[in-house]
Amino acid sequence: MKITSEEIQLTKECLAMATEEGAEKARVTLNKSVMDLFSTLNGEIDKVSHCLDRSLTLNLFVDGRYATFSTNRLSRESLRAFVAKAVDASKMLARDPLRKLPDPSRCEKNAVSGDELGLLDPSYDEVTSEKRRSTALEASGFGRNVSGLISEEGEYSDSLYDTLVVDTQGLYCRHTETSFEYGVEVTIQDEEGNRHSGFWWDASSRLSGLKASECFDKALSRARSQIGAKPFRNGKFKMVVDTECASRLLTPVLNALGGGALQQHNSFLVDSLGQKVFSDGMTVIDKARSVGETGSRLFDSEGVATVETPVIENGVVKEYFINTYMSGKMNLEPTVEDVTRPAVERWISPSLGGKEGRLDASALMELLGEGIYVTGFNGGNSNSSTGDFSFGIEGYVFKDGKIGPAVHEMLMTGNFITLWNNLLAAGDDCRLCLSKLTPSLAFKDVDFSA
Amino acid sequence: MINSKQYYLDTFGVTEEQLRRLAAEGLRGGGDFSDLFFENSSFTDLLLRDGEVTSGGFHEDYGVGIRVLKGEKTGYAYSEATDETSMMSAARAASAIADGTASCGDSVAKLIRDAKDRAASYVPCENNGGRPVRKFFLGAPNPAADRYPVLQDWRTAKTAELSAYLMKIQEAVSKRDSRIVKIIAVLSTQTTDCLMYNSFGELKYDTRPLASLALSLIFKQGDKTENKSVSRSYRMGVEMLTDELVQQIADLAVEGIDQRFEAKRPKGGQMPVVMAAGASGILLHEAMGHAFEADFNRKGQSIFSEKMGSRICAEGISIVDDATIPGGRGSLNFDDEGVPGQRTYMVEDGILTSYLHDRISAKFYGVTPTGNGRRESFRYNPIPRMRSTYMEGGNADPEGIISSVKKGLYVDQFANGQVKIGEGDFTFYVKSGYLIENGRLTQPVKDVNVIGNGPEALAGIVAVGNDPKVDEGSWTCGKEQSVPVSCGIPTVLVKNLTVGGE
Repeated sequence: MKITSEEIQLTKECLAMATEEGAEKARVTLNKSVMDLFSTLNGEIDKVSHCLDRSLTLNLFVDGRYATFSTNRLSRESLRAFVAKAVDASKMLARDPLRKLPDPSRCEKNAVSGDELGLLDPSYDEVTSEKRRSTALEASGFGRNVSGLISEEGEYSDSLYDTLVVDTQGLYCRHTETSFEYGVEVTIQDEEGNRHSGFWWDASSRLSGLKASECFDKALSRARSQIGAKPFRNGKFKMVVDTECASRLLTPVLNALGGGALQQHNSFLVDSLGQKVFSDGMTVIDKARSVGETGSRLFDSEGVATVETPVIENGVVKEYFINTYMSGKMNLEPTVEDVTRPAVERWISPSLGGKEGRLDASALMELLGEGIYVTGFNGGNSNSSTGDFSFGIEGYVFKDGKIGPAVHEMLMTGNFITLWNNLLAAGDDCRLCLSKLTPSLAFKDVDFSA
Repeated sequence: MINSKQYYLDTFGVTEEQLRRLAAEGLRGGGDFSDLFFENSSFTDLLLRDGEVTSGGFHEDYGVGIRVLKGEKTGYAYSEATDETSMMSAARAASAIADGTASCGDSVAKLIRDAKDRAASYVPCENNGGRPVRKFFLGAPNPAADRYPVLQDWRTAKTAELSAYLMKIQEAVSKRDSRIVKIIAVLSTQTTDCLMYNSFGELKYDTRPLASLALSLIFKQGDKTENKSVSRSYRMGVEMLTDELVQQIADLAVEGIDQRFEAKRPKGGQMPVVMAAGASGILLHEAMGHAFEADFNRKGQSIFSEKMGSRICAEGISIVDDATIPGGRGSLNFDDEGVPGQRTYMVEDGILTSYLHDRISAKFYGVTPTGNGRRESFRYNPIPRMRSTYMEGGNADPEGIISSVKKGLYVDQFANGQVKIGEGDFTFYVKSGYLIENGRLTQPVKDVNVIGNGPEALAGIVAVGNDPKVDEGSWTCGKEQSVPVSCGIPTVLVKNLTVGGE
């Protein structure tokens, strides 16, 4: 179900159609994906789904103008009419001299087969419906007569994504990957009749790497951990954030480094390039090209080659994400358009002393002694212009390095710049199935209210 | 907008006999029910940034989804082509959910007849508050009852005219406040032809317009920066783009910006919260509406699972999910299972009276589907979803509600929220509001959260204003799939919620 040679030919023909219709330059992206899904409800198959998608996106540069179009009607005849209509429509927009294709020297040259990063499971085509069904059923824990269990919803899916990007400057980039996922949500009722739910999931680019059978117990444990949860008192506390949810605190910082936000002054990191903004201990590397690792990509949507580079190093902002268009608008050197696979590096504040071995949430709680251990966020948002945030949290109080009572109906508020300046430690326990490698983190002086 | 039946058959290149064969093919594995959802969507978008409309385009999406039900189990597949071979292949894939009890040699007529016989057990009793249960929804769509008649189809709109409209908005808004440093205006339109057929023999068709106008502004005052976003969205054609709308959205975009610059985070804690009429209805949608969706209840996950017929809030409070508002973003002539769009009371005078049903949950509960079976596109099977969800007006004067609060929070804009369906716990982000001190609005506040529990908050409503209002912004609900919705509420007072602050 990968992109076929005929589809590759059709994609290239689209470029020719565009120039024949009057476009000066063009880029065509063909996305193809296939997904099979088996979901269960209370230990029985509840839904079976088979999905096959193809879509073609056309970026046109016509008479100094730029527009984007897409279609999933991919017969030659349909495409010919589509491209002609698209070229005509482009002419109705205002001219924009800053719109251009990226310099070919910046583009990826070695993404030809699509599997250069080793993210394609060669056994994908051998996965049968029966295997999918049995994986979904075997992962279910509903038949175990778990006390208080009301419902269990599980979902196994596998998919193959194939992307091809070509342009009129000779760009040819392809990325192919498979993904195998299982997730389960359990709902339990406690002795007082209150309901609690817990979710856990796992994913891998290889079926052999999927740990579906571990998910039920983890989801159940997360549901049970909320029994008896109560709000804790207001105040400033030390905080440990579990790796499972820590990316919620990193993503807004990375978004603020994007050219679109910076150019529109809708970023709290305007004029921060090269400046020390965060704690010495905050180092984020874009590990974009790691072979075999989920989230790796050799090129961005323009075909520009990704680079393994520091984004923030010892608190200093080292990288803005500036695509070709924003480069012209902001008069800055272009980079990749977005961070690909950010990884927060391990660090411990000198004030905490050293720590040998694995640095996970438990180790961080031992280091900090007491505070609040956040295991999930429930709602909240941040102000992209100021960096102020407020999030609902769930988790536990910890004391003497040990987990104590569960808390709920609590909020944490603050500002991202202040928060990351109060970083006490960054662990090394990232889940490799996530595309953002954010380990468990520890901060001081975080405002909580209940 | 409803065109002729032939228009839709021609759009998808199918015949009624072919639809019958496909529905029967889906049943060949022994399914109880099968249906087809054909979709041809045209999208356009135009973006004004840095003073000019320099970006835009159009997008096409076409295909058919085929669903087979066996009890409450679902088989689903779709095809992006509507030739016989592709559609038959999808029908066979969807039929895999069934257990193979039908014979491969059964005729189309027998498969359909058997499915109708099985459907007889589809409607066991009258137990939806005594209302009669309706079995089928036969009969052609009625253009006279159309909830979104269109004067000019977006597919015929000229890009130059739409660009000029965005420029008009820019001109109107930039005159209103000298602190504006950046303006982004986006016009997004969608026109969807859809045709639905099922093994009961029901054939429905509809053309759904949807357009959204969004404006994002960045303001600078000294060294402070603030942003503000507003939107308007309707199921209307090009006639939506009036001069009145230009002025309305420009006014909304700058409204309250002085207070935004003055706003602070309040001291956190538990306090009474007054929610302003209109967009605060997002709290109703998230914290209560989802828990009324029947799939969560059928699976025992909702906190309202065993509360049907019980009092869940004070007398005088009624909550509605409505597909009938003319031109409303959440309105539908038919849902995505061919069930007529309607107005459904979930709570009447404080009593929980109905969940929101698709065909699966309606069968499970033995009630009539409420027209809430919705999907993002032909790529998804329908599930119970809200449409326009709002609380009806009460008898309190909004000013009186505020003046009754000694110390509390007045919220006039929520940005977003999240709820845990099982527990009912919610968190909502307050984009703007005021402290209430001694019955008066005082210090503007921003960027805080309100946290609570849905059923407790509902039970904690102690005053409902006489100013019901459905917000006309571009609300999109993201439960597994994205669908357009609306929300609304009168001014209400919740006696106690947790507010996060400094």
